Amino acid sequence: MTAADKTPALSASAYKNIPSVHFSPSLMEKLAILTDAAKYDVACTSSGVDRRGDGTGIGNTMSCGICHTFAADGRCVSLLKILFTNECIFNCSYCQNNCNSDIPRATFTPEEICTLTIEFYRRNYIEGLFLSSGIIISPNYTMDLIYQTLYRLRTVYRFQGYIHVKAIPGADPLLIEKTGYLADRMSINLELPTSDSLRKLAPCKSRNTILKPMRMIQNGITDNKQELTVYRKAPKFVPAGQSTQMIIGATPENDFQIMSVAEGLYRNFDLKRVFYSAFVNVNHNSGLPVLPGGPPLLREHRLYQADWLLRYYHFTVNELLSEDRPNFNIYLDPKCDWALRHLEYFPVEVQTADYKTLLRVPGIGAKSASRIVKARRGSRLDFPDLKKMGVVLKRALYFLTCSGRMMYPTKLDEDYICRNLLSDRTQIPQDLRESNYKQLSLFDDMSMIS
Amino acid sequence: MYIFQCEDSIDGIFTGVYDAWASHYGHKHIQLSSDNSGNLMLFSEYIPVIPDSDKSRKVSRTMITRLGTDFYETICKCAMADSHCRKLTMDKANAIYQTIVMALALPEGAKVLEYLSEPCISCIFELCRQTANEGHHLLEFLRFYELKSGILFAQIHAKNDVLPILATHFTDRLPLENFIIYDASHQMAAVHTSSKDYLIVDASTLNLDLTKEYSSEEEGFRKLWCTFFDSIAIEARKNPKLQSQNIPKRFWDDTVELK
Repeated sequence: MTAADKTPALSASAYKNIPSVHFSPSLMEKLAILTDAAKYDVACTSSGVDRRGDGTGIGNTMSCGICHTFAADGRCVSLLKILFTNECIFNCSYCQNNCNSDIPRATFTPEEICTLTIEFYRRNYIEGLFLSSGIIISPNYTMDLIYQTLYRLRTVYRFQGYIHVKAIPGADPLLIEKTGYLADRMSINLELPTSDSLRKLAPCKSRNTILKPMRMIQNGITDNKQELTVYRKAPKFVPAGQSTQMIIGATPENDFQIMSVAEGLYRNFDLKRVFYSAFVNVNHNSGLPVLPGGPPLLREHRLYQADWLLRYYHFTVNELLSEDRPNFNIYLDPKCDWALRHLEYFPVEVQTADYKTLLRVPGIGAKSASRIVKARRGSRLDFPDLKKMGVVLKRALYFLTCSGRMMYPTKLDEDYICRNLLSDRTQIPQDLRESNYKQLSLFDDMSMIS
Repeated sequence: MYIFQCEDSIDGIFTGVYDAWASHYGHKHIQLSSDNSGNLMLFSEYIPVIPDSDKSRKVSRTMITRLGTDFYETICKCAMADSHCRKLTMDKANAIYQTIVMALALPEGAKVLEYLSEPCISCIFELCRQTANEGHHLLEFLRFYELKSGILFAQIHAKNDVLPILATHFTDRLPLENFIIYDASHQMAAVHTSSKDYLIVDASTLNLDLTKEYSSEEEGFRKLWCTFFDSIAIEARKNPKLQSQNIPKRFWDDTVELK
């Protein structure tokens, strides 16, 4: 099967007839409106696929991903993250583009998106395109517009950089499949962790319309892998995998529920990433919580830390949280917290412990663990050597021995270690450190959520 | 002690390695130095090394055939590093020499790079990481602008000699463009012509006035980019500290959006 079979010739009619519902602003205004409308989508990674340029066009991709700049909120800007349009027939209450809100609306043309992408890309501003969209006219109509844009970018402009595209819930599977052969990563937002919350806040979406295309993309990727083993030149379907995102703090789910959903998605849907987005009440909708301390950033941070533990550190959600302890400790990161509750595994001997055991030591990451395993074949390691390899000794020293010795004489006692860890102010999250008022409001958030 | 004093460049250091090896003074009695600050050690004989591309090529070839390309690339990155690193416990050229000597003495020589508790290896590790990190940062933060002639021009201020890393990346990425990457701190430039490989040239005589004449579209796309950059930030999550932690201030001047 070749790309040509799957991609019919570019039909110009599809995007000529876009109804201009409001006004037709200049490209600059459009870009401002449609960037602003896309900014609450968190996924902006350009990782997961290595592809060299073929010399006939523009672009390549690197599997480590490249962030080109960092916005005022400190988040990375890797892709040109825009909506095709912020017109929308849906009424999700958490979203600023819902059909009831009174905001300026705009719609790009595929040509405009191609020009912006190519001109930004050759100046090394961006790593590629992130294209999402409000639902204009119907899910199928919207998905087709997205497909036309990607088709143009890939074939007319011969763009070989990174493309992350949203699959529109409810769109025809065939359209999603065709688009998948042009994109590097596809995502469908789960939006909210439980179907109850989804019904309440996004009545036009349902678990079914979200999970069905997700399953379809998963199957597409598996089939494609088999196809690739037979025909090496077969076109690649979503080579960088699929991702999703959940909004955190808009609904009353606890961390245990959220992490269990994430774990399920990794296991059953082979997702590459699950993103967590701290809720920002943009619409001042009375049905949604008002968060006096700002968006729940610390909670989001803890969820990401735990997410990493699931993906790279061989932890399971049941080890980190339980029905009785459904939320993460706000003072300690999930790994430290786990270690303090399982002191029976410690201290670990650097010279002999296997890779997986080393991974569980607070202060040792995936890179430093593999460096240790390799370096100790050459000679005995001591604490200064560990420091050079990137081990964070101020956390690790309570849990490690080098040739049977600890770094300092310490007690293997939960309270003692906890007190010592927190006596170093830099180990306490900044939000909690800065003021008591904030600390109180954070506790309030937690109790309101759980 | 015999100290071979070499120039701080790949060719200089590799020639030093060749001369030191060929001298037969015994590895224990030999050190290399790329430090030309004039601090001399007592009871040592200083031997100046004149960079020689033939000798350097021979050393490269030995490394590639006996220790593999990964080893060779690591050593090159290390040689390209800025040797004024505070964390360093050893001279750069000397660390390279000791590492090569150690690697050639072992059956699986390339594995020595993993033995991080050896002083010379930890020095190689640190320097290589320094170059690779800055190289990656500049892949991210380098900005091209289009000149009147249609050539893309970028200016960087690099601490380490990262031009080969950048030029290789952009040659693959923009094969049909003509571009120049100018490293103002080393006065060197990588020049790429459409569909050809790149060249690294001495740019000390570059006329910088010519690089200030932008094409007619350039200003428009810069403004569009700044609009995008301002709109993408979420006001409720504003965090300037995190921003400057992620994109260090020294890169700001050479970007478009943070200048």
